[in-house]
Amino acid sequence: MRPARRVERVFGTTLFWVVVIVIFVYMLFPFYWAVNSSFKTEAQLQMTPATFLPRDSEGNFAPSLINYRSVFRDGQFVRGIFNSTLVATATTALALVVGSFAAFALGKLRFRGKKPSLYMILAMTMFPQVTVLSGLYAVITTLGLTARPSMILSYMIFTLPFTTWVLTAFFKELPVEIMQSAWVDGATPFQTFYMILLPLTAPALVTTGLLAFIAAWNEFLFALTFTTIDPGARTIPVAISLFGGLVARHEPFGEIMAAAVVVTVPVVLLVLIFQRKIVAGLTAGAVKG
Amino acid sequence: MPRKKRIVDLAAREQKLSYKLIAPAIIVLILVAFYPLFQVFYTSFTDRRFAAGVDEEVSFIGFENYRSLLGVTIMELHTVDDPDTGEATIDPQTGKVVYERAIRVLPRSPVRYRELMQFSFLGKRYVVGARDPVFLTAVWNTLLFTFFSVFLETLLGLGVALVVNSKFRARGAMRATMLIPWAVITVVSARIWEWMFASSRAGFFNMILNRLGLSDGQTSFLTTASLQLPTLIAVDVWKTTPFMALLILAGLQTIPNELYEAGQVDGAGRIRQFFSITLPLLKPAIAVALIFRTLDALRVFDVFQVIMGNRMFSMASYNYYQLIGNRNMGLASAIGVVIFIFIAVFAVIYIRMMGVDKE
Amino acid sequence: MKKLLLVGLALVFALVAMAQITITVATGAVGIELELARLAAQMYMDENPGVTVRVLDTPDMVQDRLGLYLQFFEARSPEVDVYQIDVIWPGDLAEHFVDLYEYGAAEVVDMHFPAIVENNTVDGRLIGLPWFLDAGLLFYRTDLLEKYGLDVPQTWEELEEYARIIQQGERATNPDFWGFVWQGNAYEGLTCDALEWIASNDGGTIISPDGVITIANTSAAEIIEKAAGWVGTISPTGVLGMAEESSRAVWQAGNAAFMRNWGYAYSLGMADDSVIKGKFDVAPLPAGKSGAGAATLGGWQLAVSRYSRNPEVAADVALFLASYEMQKMRAVDASYNPTIMDLYFDEDVLEATPFFGRLYDVFINTVARPSTVTSPNYTEASTLFFQAVHSVLSGRTDAESALEELALDLEDLTGFEAVIDF
Repeated sequence: MRPARRVERVFGTTLFWVVVIVIFVYMLFPFYWAVNSSFKTEAQLQMTPATFLPRDSEGNFAPSLINYRSVFRDGQFVRGIFNSTLVATATTALALVVGSFAAFALGKLRFRGKKPSLYMILAMTMFPQVTVLSGLYAVITTLGLTARPSMILSYMIFTLPFTTWVLTAFFKELPVEIMQSAWVDGATPFQTFYMILLPLTAPALVTTGLLAFIAAWNEFLFALTFTTIDPGARTIPVAISLFGGLVARHEPFGEIMAAAVVVTVPVVLLVLIFQRKIVAGLTAGAVKG
Repeated sequence: MPRKKRIVDLAAREQKLSYKLIAPAIIVLILVAFYPLFQVFYTSFTDRRFAAGVDEEVSFIGFENYRSLLGVTIMELHTVDDPDTGEATIDPQTGKVVYERAIRVLPRSPVRYRELMQFSFLGKRYVVGARDPVFLTAVWNTLLFTFFSVFLETLLGLGVALVVNSKFRARGAMRATMLIPWAVITVVSARIWEWMFASSRAGFFNMILNRLGLSDGQTSFLTTASLQLPTLIAVDVWKTTPFMALLILAGLQTIPNELYEAGQVDGAGRIRQFFSITLPLLKPAIAVALIFRTLDALRVFDVFQVIMGNRMFSMASYNYYQLIGNRNMGLASAIGVVIFIFIAVFAVIYIRMMGVDKE
Repeated sequence: MKKLLLVGLALVFALVAMAQITITVATGAVGIELELARLAAQMYMDENPGVTVRVLDTPDMVQDRLGLYLQFFEARSPEVDVYQIDVIWPGDLAEHFVDLYEYGAAEVVDMHFPAIVENNTVDGRLIGLPWFLDAGLLFYRTDLLEKYGLDVPQTWEELEEYARIIQQGERATNPDFWGFVWQGNAYEGLTCDALEWIASNDGGTIISPDGVITIANTSAAEIIEKAAGWVGTISPTGVLGMAEESSRAVWQAGNAAFMRNWGYAYSLGMADDSVIKGKFDVAPLPAGKSGAGAATLGGWQLAVSRYSRNPEVAADVALFLASYEMQKMRAVDASYNPTIMDLYFDEDVLEATPFFGRLYDVFINTVARPSTVTSPNYTEASTLFFQAVHSVLSGRTDAESALEELALDLEDLTGFEAVIDF
């Protein structure tokens, strides 16, 4: 009986690790291929058969930094990183604050018109981006906004309904007793909100923010339209779309890959660091509260 | 009496507070979204052209845009009869009965119907004609795409979230890895996959299949009809599984540990624990993730646009083509409204099924 | 007193600032292209101190660029004064641009290739000033033709035969080798390629300049069927998904004997790390029944927005950018094909890019896509066309049915009459 259980456990552990490794490879491989491509010159990219590492025609390992050098050749790209960070951060902050307020009401308070509000908020995000673009452009022109605020405001169309809905779902799951006991203790509803609700749903809050951040970071169509006449405000996706080859029609594929690598790695690292800090901070708050 | 008054008072205060809390969200959305959405609805009933000339007039045409998108007709196809015997001709090569060409049967005026598909029913052959077969095909493609990609993403996302939620070494690394596909800029990720699927051995898949001796290394994945949709689904599943996984993981993390402890005391097995504790508590998280994934999948644009171009459309890429390519703003707006309706129907179904809007 | 002086000074500055006119030019984003545009803008500003010329880069993806321009036109935005527009846009976008004849273009148009000027003229109005041009060319491997004792193919039959011979021979050592690569994806590039086949085979230009749909004819069907026969034999099946860059990837890796592409592939193929450097050359495309090859006209024009606040100055900037000197600079420094005929005989130009001289005949005999006659529906017409051709190439239908259906579709779209000639 005992050996059987042991076999079972070994089998279970092995299976678990196989699953882990499969997930790793699946998630990472296409990105690895982008990294691999980013270190290849055009001739190496076109080589048949393709190689797992950048190699020259004799088969020697020969990575090239040419793509990275061209990515950083002019300030456009670095400025793009700055702009993207700014716009995505502001978008996330705004969407989280405004969204969590609304979610508090929608998830935990009782009031008339709750369902219509929920549906209305969701309906705002149901159109494809191209369709709303020209109307949005008119709104932005009327408001007389410059490029960066225009992007932040227009990104609300897809981030705000998202944060509101996700947070509403999570708030709703929290037992009512927690809030009631806080109210009995004399806490105002608002205190209950930021001292109890927020810390308890910290993982959801962080995840929602993260997903919203990346959605804003990746947006292309609105950004292209709003930043054309203001090149100083261009974000990463726009900067990449403006990568030109040596001559017209020539597409610098290696450079695009290098740019993708350069912008992805820091995002992932930053997000990880922040995530840990924020979760820790919020959880600590909960313990204190 | 005073007690009742206090409750009424409390309720009124709660109501007031609620309105204050949702006001910012509503104001922001009305500010940015109301006019564009209203304009889309309105324009869909006109023949407006995008970037029209200064003196071009716009007229109201009712539901004409919708009719030209969705209009279909079914006609019977007759056999081509041999003039001498009066019997149906049979193709000597395929051995099948020869029918007249659909183009000869489908109506041409006042509007033209193009062939969408043919089918046989009770021994007769029919052709389905559509005023815009490209759009209807795009609708079908998008629905298939949405169904398979969302289904696979949910399943995989759940699996990944469960794995990451259990304690093991390399968990941190796993969380980082998991973010990568979602963090790669969408347009670029489509390009990465397009390159991996290249039709020569310069592409990864051809190279690896050739090395394994499974093909000659010249497979054209992206132009072979039967491989196109699966390829697009594979790209999307890779890209957005992290979205699902992260939301489900957040759901897992908010499940109090005490519940599991109680479950263990009861002697519930792992699998039973999963179905009786985890899954029900995950329902809201999964529901909301499903809503937003489905919404995005129905509006899928980049993957189709970058990888398929004009070879195959999704609803949104066809919308883009009509707006930017053909400048049919009225028609494009009608497509936008059709997409909106599809999404609304899906959303309502999910919300009802999963009980998201219940108290 | 001092105060008054200060106020006066401020006033003067304000006036100078007001007199300073800014002209914004939207151009391509590509490295040298952008640099040259900025250089030319600087030269203009040196000559005209009252004007600031701002060069805006726009996406190299034609579809993205068009979408952006349309957004500006929809908003009637005065932000951009001069637009760089594709050769197929003058008809569709005519309503948003001024007539350059009213701004002194009449004096210079005769220097340019007549085909482009005709293409850019809509209802007697000159919409775009020709800036640089492009044309379909046949790239061939000199070393391989020599190895197999072959000449440059003059007809499609010869091309087919030579491609087969070379492919068979090379396959022994290189399993990735193909005879001929071209642009077979369903996109504007296929319209260009197919137009070349059809025009060279006496099959017309889809829709004639006087508005008759001529595409449904035997010569056109014949040559499209021929091209369909290339797929999977001398061209990879993947050619059905290939655009300019993906066909060049096969060619420049040394994996093709022939390629149809635009002039840009020449300088890239001559790059130092290119496998085929010095082993290839360009020639006019092969001929069909008509006895002469045809090359589709491509290239970019400069147009002045009618929403510009200073159309006179903007037109002057455009005239300057497209002038003889500027086109010469672009030709010498970056091999941009001038639209001014004399430049093909200019010594400095020929010294920098010797093949220009040989290609003069190609450039003067280019075939324009029917973009002006079908305006404002060119994109849709072209889409119908390349979808029809693509369906034949991929074996979904035969050429005659596809072209007949196409003729009907074009009739619906344009209101022109179709001639069915099978």
